[in-house]
Amino acid sequence: MWIPIQVNENSAEPLYHQIESQLRSLIISGQIEEGTLLPSIREFANGLNCSVITVRRVYQDLESEGLLRTKQGTGTFVAKVGTSQREVFRREAVEEALSHAVDVGMSVKCEEDELRELFLSILKRKYHPEKGEGEA
Amino acid sequence: MEQPIIRMEGVTKQRRHKMIGPIDLSLPRGYVYGLIGENGSGKSTLIHMLLQTVFPDSGRISWFGHAYTKGIPMEVRRQIGYVAEKSNLEEDNLTAEEAAAFRAYWYPEWDQPYFEKLCGLFQVPKATRLRKMSKGERRKYEIAAALAPHPTLLLLDEPSSGLDPFAWKMMIEVLRECLQTEDTTIVLSTHIIDEVKRLADYVMLIHHGKWMGMAEKDSLLDNWKEVWAGCPAADLEELPNIVQTQQESHGVTRVVTTSCRELEQILYDSGINVLKTRALELDEILTLWVQGYRPAGVQEGEEQTYGTIKTS
Repeated sequence: MWIPIQVNENSAEPLYHQIESQLRSLIISGQIEEGTLLPSIREFANGLNCSVITVRRVYQDLESEGLLRTKQGTGTFVAKVGTSQREVFRREAVEEALSHAVDVGMSVKCEEDELRELFLSILKRKYHPEKGEGEA
Repeated sequence: MEQPIIRMEGVTKQRRHKMIGPIDLSLPRGYVYGLIGENGSGKSTLIHMLLQTVFPDSGRISWFGHAYTKGIPMEVRRQIGYVAEKSNLEEDNLTAEEAAAFRAYWYPEWDQPYFEKLCGLFQVPKATRLRKMSKGERRKYEIAAALAPHPTLLLLDEPSSGLDPFAWKMMIEVLRECLQTEDTTIVLSTHIIDEVKRLADYVMLIHHGKWMGMAEKDSLLDNWKEVWAGCPAADLEELPNIVQTQQESHGVTRVVTTSCRELEQILYDSGINVLKTRALELDEILTLWVQGYRPAGVQEGEEQTYGTIKTS
């Protein structure tokens, strides 16, 4: 099983943290299905050019969150993700993206009203693309 | 906790021009340890002491939890694979096939099909006498022969010297495969930073005989970063774990830190913007480490007795 994880060495975020959050979202979003056998720790580490210590830490963390389970001798599998867990994750992912967008607005000194208007017009454009674009 | 595969406590050895050690280390099983140091820094001496071809002047070494002061017993020695820095002269007049037959006699675990597979992969000429081989061919034979008995502990002293880039890449793949299928522990002395980058879990550094310690590779890469902050240099100079500060332009300062997360937190708390971060290359990290900037979480010894380097 190949896992699409992209590591950015220049980020201030530690390696294990990057791998962990990406693997977590792949599991919770359902992109990696329940029951999938993950690569062995050494195999995964080789693929990412990182150490087995880092991968072991990621597997242990996600196991204690209930997202992975390890069967002695067979390997590490993706566990069942509850609906409520998926709901929370969905909400958090969107919240995070929106909050980032607001940060960008604030950094260029947008007023609250201006941001709200912009947000509403983008919503309109995305959900009702057929209606003319010049309105906003 | 499981017994470390190798432990060294206060190990020293006087060499002609310098003293090696004292070395304190503990190597848990199943990891790859990259051993780095310039020529003559003591890497080969360390490996020789692990084979008892050199005996320490003081200190204690244990293998699999035993000191073996009267010599490493044959059945333990058989579990240790070794690729020497310089080729073994005794095999000079043998062909790869003959040398393999000789080694197979001493290693009951010798896996002939595996040896042949590796020789095929590396394109080692079977019927050529070893001394007639090119440096690279001989090296490849030696790596194949060291792996053939499926060693528990593999000591590689600059295994890639003489290998062309293609053979080098193949060696990396072969070692990786060996790590995936078996629980091998590897001590790898090398000058090739990329080798450490691709294989090692831990980095061990020795400098002019002085043991600098051992650190997790990823922790080095995570912690040592170059950070551009939106503030004057004077604001940052007094912070902990800062290696260099340089004012880049008005209101932008570049710093090198050995503790990136901590610095980020301090900057964030003080409302200073981080404009950019860059991971240091492993060779930059090692250069600074040699200069005395100690990495976070470095293992220098059990009791940190020899941790005398100051973060200047």
